[in-house]
Amino acid sequence: MDRDERIWLGVLVVVFLIFNIVTLSTLVPWQEWLLWTDHELDQQISIGIEDYEFQFPPDGIEVQVGEYVEFIATSEDVTYGFGVFRTDGTMVFQMQVVPGYDNKIVWKFDDPGAYDVRSTEYSGPRHSEMFVEDAIHVSP
Amino acid sequence: MKEIGWLEKWTLRFAVVGLLFLALSGLEGMLMRTQLVAPQALDGVESALNTVRLTSQEPTSENLFYSMLTAHPIVGIYGFAYMCVMGAFYFLVPFLLKKEIRYKKLVPVNFWLQITGVMICWMSGFFGLFNAMYTLYWPLPVSYDRVPRIGSIIFVIGAAVVMVNILIFAYNIFSTVLSKNSSRGYSFRQFLSAAFGIPRLKKLLGREDENAPSLNYNDLPIFIVAVGRGSIDTVINAIVLLAAGVLILVYGLADAFGSGLDPGIVDALVYKNWYWWGLDMVADGSVLMYTAGVWYLLIPILTGRKLYGESVVRTVILVDLLVSMGVWSHHLLGDRVQPLVMRLLSGQIITWGEFFTMGLTIFASLMTIWKAKPVKLSPPLKFVLGSIFGFIMGGVAGLIQANVGLNLIFHNTQWVVSLHAHTFLLTGLGTLLFAVVYALLPMLTKLEIRSQRLVDVHFWAWMVGSVVMAYAMGMSGAKGMLRRTIYPTPHPYESYLTVALIASFLVALGLVAFLVNVINTLGWANTLSLFVPERWIKRQPETASA
Repeated sequence: MDRDERIWLGVLVVVFLIFNIVTLSTLVPWQEWLLWTDHELDQQISIGIEDYEFQFPPDGIEVQVGEYVEFIATSEDVTYGFGVFRTDGTMVFQMQVVPGYDNKIVWKFDDPGAYDVRSTEYSGPRHSEMFVEDAIHVSP
Repeated sequence: MKEIGWLEKWTLRFAVVGLLFLALSGLEGMLMRTQLVAPQALDGVESALNTVRLTSQEPTSENLFYSMLTAHPIVGIYGFAYMCVMGAFYFLVPFLLKKEIRYKKLVPVNFWLQITGVMICWMSGFFGLFNAMYTLYWPLPVSYDRVPRIGSIIFVIGAAVVMVNILIFAYNIFSTVLSKNSSRGYSFRQFLSAAFGIPRLKKLLGREDENAPSLNYNDLPIFIVAVGRGSIDTVINAIVLLAAGVLILVYGLADAFGSGLDPGIVDALVYKNWYWWGLDMVADGSVLMYTAGVWYLLIPILTGRKLYGESVVRTVILVDLLVSMGVWSHHLLGDRVQPLVMRLLSGQIITWGEFFTMGLTIFASLMTIWKAKPVKLSPPLKFVLGSIFGFIMGGVAGLIQANVGLNLIFHNTQWVVSLHAHTFLLTGLGTLLFAVVYALLPMLTKLEIRSQRLVDVHFWAWMVGSVVMAYAMGMSGAKGMLRRTIYPTPHPYESYLTVALIASFLVALGLVAFLVNVINTLGWANTLSLFVPERWIKRQPETASA
């Protein structure tokens, strides 16, 4: 390996370190509770999915800004996705919902308002119908 | 055109059919883009086509969209890319090793089986409305309330034909490399062992086998090293996909005979790991190694300079093979039930191994061109540079999404399929395959590419179109637009979709310019002579002597 190659390899190593250190750190906000700290949960919300339908708690999903909420999603048939979106269509977070497993993710909402839920995994020709408007209400 | 040899003719046949598959895949892509912009736009055409479909109920627009979406990558990858790769390798491997293909009879077998398999898969979508996507997440392909059973059975039969054919192709390539009609003979075990760097490891540990043949592939052309190591991944990919196909077929046949099996017997997460491990051997394995091999082959030929840092890049190909074995979890970063250590190591850190291997590969390629300057920017070199740009752009997008943190908002969005996958496939791999055609066509036929102007139209329309299309869709993904999802209008992503649709016309323009140029270069009579007996063709005297 000559000098130019060693310098280039050094550049690659630096980029690798910077990118991975930054994205694993709490500079990506949700890494704080998903990767680094076990917070006490304020709520656990179970969501079932079957035959293209989300089954939410009977009283709906009400959370508060700053709460640590664990969403537990289960599928009775095929793989789905559980994605939470802002009303402008941008995504807040998501996870795959694998059948036969309790699929869990903890989230802390920063902004109050209504959030939509959409399946983020293709599950058959009616997949596009799996959209629930204003499914989650986050109060200040 | 000079009288071209038997193998060269087959290479041209593979290339022509591969390009036709690219056109078919591109047409599907444009139809789907149209449907995403205006979901009802294709209703009239669909109604007409429904009369020839095998299903009992009138399919919905969604049925048709998702069926086309399932067939689209099969046609693009196993039709276009594999056909071109098979054609190119069948010419280049014996050419570089200075020996004949070991089993010549398998060349036409590969040609026809690949076409047959791909077309069966395509028909399973077109006629049978198979819609489980290429991901085939368990148990969707055997959930017959969502996926027509007949379509599922036809699809896996087609996929099995393709996979068996790929194994036959790999066997023929390996046999050719290993054949002992020269001093370069290896046993399969020695070849495989050397491919994984085991002799080098033994040497490091002081347990060198002095009777073993050349341990570092040092007496093989570097392109052959890339083909050899890449084909190991190709074989693993074919075996894994074949196994998945057999599983789906067993469920389909059992259901057809009235004794349906319980899908719950198969663990969906284990299946997903197994399937992605094998599937990823192509996307993150053989494609990268084959690409590197082609750059290492073409760039020295086109610039007239020895490859820069050849000893390093030989090792890089080895590392590429090892890395490809461990990166599949980046497809499961959205699966919270996948163990964190797997997501972190296999999904993110090991995936960054490709940053190093591709980084060093591209560095060696660009340094070779730089040190050879001034260089003539010939059509193949121009397309080689375009392909390097495509792999950089698609690779950066891939590393951003293959991240435990960032994947949370990128997984399954248009970012993944557009800015990463389509940039890799169209701007990267597609452009590289065009470079191969531009380089090989004069070698095979002794004909010069007819129109430089059409080469430029092809290059700029293809590059600008594919980059703008990917960028527009990638940005829609960054704004939350999912892949594999039709949105009722109006929705927040419409402007991005419109830009992408316009850009896809530019891509099509580039492909048309290329096809016109290739056919003009070959001449209609010569093009037809690849597929029909010579006596059927009426040649004009000047055409025949062209």
